[in-house]
Amino acid sequence: MKGKSIKRFILFAALIVMVNIALDQSFKAFSVHNILNRRMDEQFAAYNDTLKYLALGNSHNCINTYILENSFNYGSPSENYIQSYYKLKHILEKTDKKPEYVILQADISTYGPKIADRYEYNSYWIDYIDYPELARIKGDRTILTKWLEGNFFSYAGNYKDVQLSILYRIKIRKLEMHNGYRPHRDYRNFAEETNKRKLAWDKANLFLSKDAYFDPSIKAYFEKILQLCEAHQVKVIMVRYPMTKEFHEEEMKIVPADKLFSEINTIASRYPVFEGLFDYHSLFFDHPEYFFDPDHLNIKGSDLFTRKFAADMKLLESGLFTEQPGK
Amino acid sequence: MLFNSFEYLLFLPLVVALYFTIPVKWRWLLLLLASYFFYMCWKAEYAILILFTTLVDYFVALKMGSEPSRKRKKRWLVMSILVNLGMLAGFKYLNFFSESVNALLQITNSGYSFPLYHILLPVGISFYIFQSLSYTIDVYRGIQPPEKHFGKFALYVSFFPQLVAGPIERSTSLLPQINAPRPFNQQNLVSGLKLILWGFFKKLVIADRLGMFVGLVYENPGEFNGLPVILATVLFAFQLYCDFSGYTDIARGSARIMGYELMINFNRPLIATSLRDFWNRWHISLTTWFRDYLLYSLPYIRDRKIVQSKIYRNLVLTFLLMGLWHGAAWTFILFGLFHGLMLVVESMAEKPVARFHEITGISNYPGFLKALGITYMFTILVFSLFFFRASSLDNSLLLLSDAFDFSNTAGSVKALLRNLEFVFGILMVAVLLIAEHVHAKYNLVKVIAARPSIVRWPVYIGFIFFVLLFGVLHQQKFIYFQF
Repeated sequence: MKGKSIKRFILFAALIVMVNIALDQSFKAFSVHNILNRRMDEQFAAYNDTLKYLALGNSHNCINTYILENSFNYGSPSENYIQSYYKLKHILEKTDKKPEYVILQADISTYGPKIADRYEYNSYWIDYIDYPELARIKGDRTILTKWLEGNFFSYAGNYKDVQLSILYRIKIRKLEMHNGYRPHRDYRNFAEETNKRKLAWDKANLFLSKDAYFDPSIKAYFEKILQLCEAHQVKVIMVRYPMTKEFHEEEMKIVPADKLFSEINTIASRYPVFEGLFDYHSLFFDHPEYFFDPDHLNIKGSDLFTRKFAADMKLLESGLFTEQPGK
Repeated sequence: MLFNSFEYLLFLPLVVALYFTIPVKWRWLLLLLASYFFYMCWKAEYAILILFTTLVDYFVALKMGSEPSRKRKKRWLVMSILVNLGMLAGFKYLNFFSESVNALLQITNSGYSFPLYHILLPVGISFYIFQSLSYTIDVYRGIQPPEKHFGKFALYVSFFPQLVAGPIERSTSLLPQINAPRPFNQQNLVSGLKLILWGFFKKLVIADRLGMFVGLVYENPGEFNGLPVILATVLFAFQLYCDFSGYTDIARGSARIMGYELMINFNRPLIATSLRDFWNRWHISLTTWFRDYLLYSLPYIRDRKIVQSKIYRNLVLTFLLMGLWHGAAWTFILFGLFHGLMLVVESMAEKPVARFHEITGISNYPGFLKALGITYMFTILVFSLFFFRASSLDNSLLLLSDAFDFSNTAGSVKALLRNLEFVFGILMVAVLLIAEHVHAKYNLVKVIAARPSIVRWPVYIGFIFFVLLFGVLHQQKFIYFQF
């Protein structure tokens, strides 16, 4: 290679680096998920009240913090147990905030390999996740590329986030957030859908796999969450959130729910901090109008659910439960 | 190690940098070590198999080279063929054979069954075994002298850019390149990088995107009907092409950077005007392998006369085996058999069809004839892909019957058009077809290369970031790795 060629090569490489930095930074600033998650972080940092309930999980988590007193909803889109663990670890070990209860999502879709292998929004999660540890636990060195993605190539392969960010900006003009809770999406109503079964099938197959229902890495991180809570004496409540009847039926075709929850109960009951699994999945089977889509409550649905949950928590604390919570 | 992994993006520059830094006489060793490392990233034990094939064929070729008697040479060749195909049979076909025989025994209620083994198919075994076999056959035929340098022969069998999914190189082409010094060439570097980028576009932007939709339909047989099933199969043709030719482009680009020229494996096969034309353009290194080492070796003469029926029989047999080469399943056998039979039909109909074209005057409209030919070829191809893609024979038949159930078509179309991912995938297929057409006519690469840097660079940089942003970066395996 001659001197001139080397100079041109270096110039070309420098241009690529510059464009990459510009794209990376623009994406981080533009991505609606980054904006939402960072806002949640800010609100959590500014939260000075008594922290009784800390809800973790993904978009199924619909705890309305206006209704449930002294609560913070720290759930974020697509969050799995792996991410929840690292976020909780950060909270318990690096902040002075210690909740009395951690509310952990326990939907069927929380435990499968499709959720376990979903690593989105790494530009946000790099602040929490110990990627080398995760790669070691999962026995998958390709996870380290997620660290690289989060740090330097946040936009790479994330065209969907760009599309979503544009849609969000059009559909949700002002961002309302209270102690991490955002009013759920409300521009559609599942009761009005003509192809409910097909929508439910699509969603169930997006999250669940026929051949596996409890991913080993999710199991490992589930235990880690319980161990962490045990070490910090934080009580754990697991919640199966309400879903439509159609979605539940499609889930049942794919996953042996009895086996799954028997395994979950066996693991959780080994930890004294585990307070119980509150099962609300069938709460609104006869009310499709409370849903935005097959597996997400709308504003009215989440309000009603939170009231029910708050009432159940009172019963639990007063020791008046006569049947399984959620019924 | 996948081409579409971050590891490969580190591995390739490192190997290239070392390759041009160390003395020429040690370069073969570097490439050999790199190739074994590349292969062992899947499973270290696999290296034993490739080493065994290499050892056997190295010594067999040396023996053949020193053997004056043709008869004895043949014995050595038979040994090489038996060992290589035996390995392939053991690792790839044993369970398929046992399952098929067991199914037969079950029908006859014999009470006996063959045991099934948990054998993990070594990645790329069909490719490197065929490459190694072509060498011993060429030595036997006297086309290729035996390679005396074991390390260089081992490199020929394991050269990492084409090790796991071809192109299946001939020793007459690759060995001389390994033996000659390959000095650094800036043009090779630039053109190799362009080829790699184009390969990534095909794989990440098109193939893996279409794969999401195709997978949804094919992994849930019975859930879709009508248009979605047909569309999924049509798109699978493009997915398969982009996946495999994308792999080949990355392989050829990687090799070219180091000064090695690998054979062209695809020549716009989806615009072929007949099935014969298609097989002249698709996976060329495999079809020519079967042509040169099997088809042409099968007997077709009786009483010093060419027997047409024997040629047809040979053709069907060759394609049946080609189908079986793709995978140990009845679906692949049917795929090959169907193509073989259709080629026979095509061959038999060639003259009457040409006469019909002349009588009706259609031959005066070459554009129309071409469009007709492409439509015919594509229809036949798509039909056969129902067998190629489905996970079992039952599923392929179920999907085929569902494809002709057009109830709720309007709803399906609406749902598909609402899926931006799907629409974008189709758009990218159109971009690919246009780009390939323009490139074939005007050599797009040269046209862009002739522009000044101020025009050229933004095009390259824009394309790099387009692939990065719109690529599906889930490190999906290449489809042909399973073969």
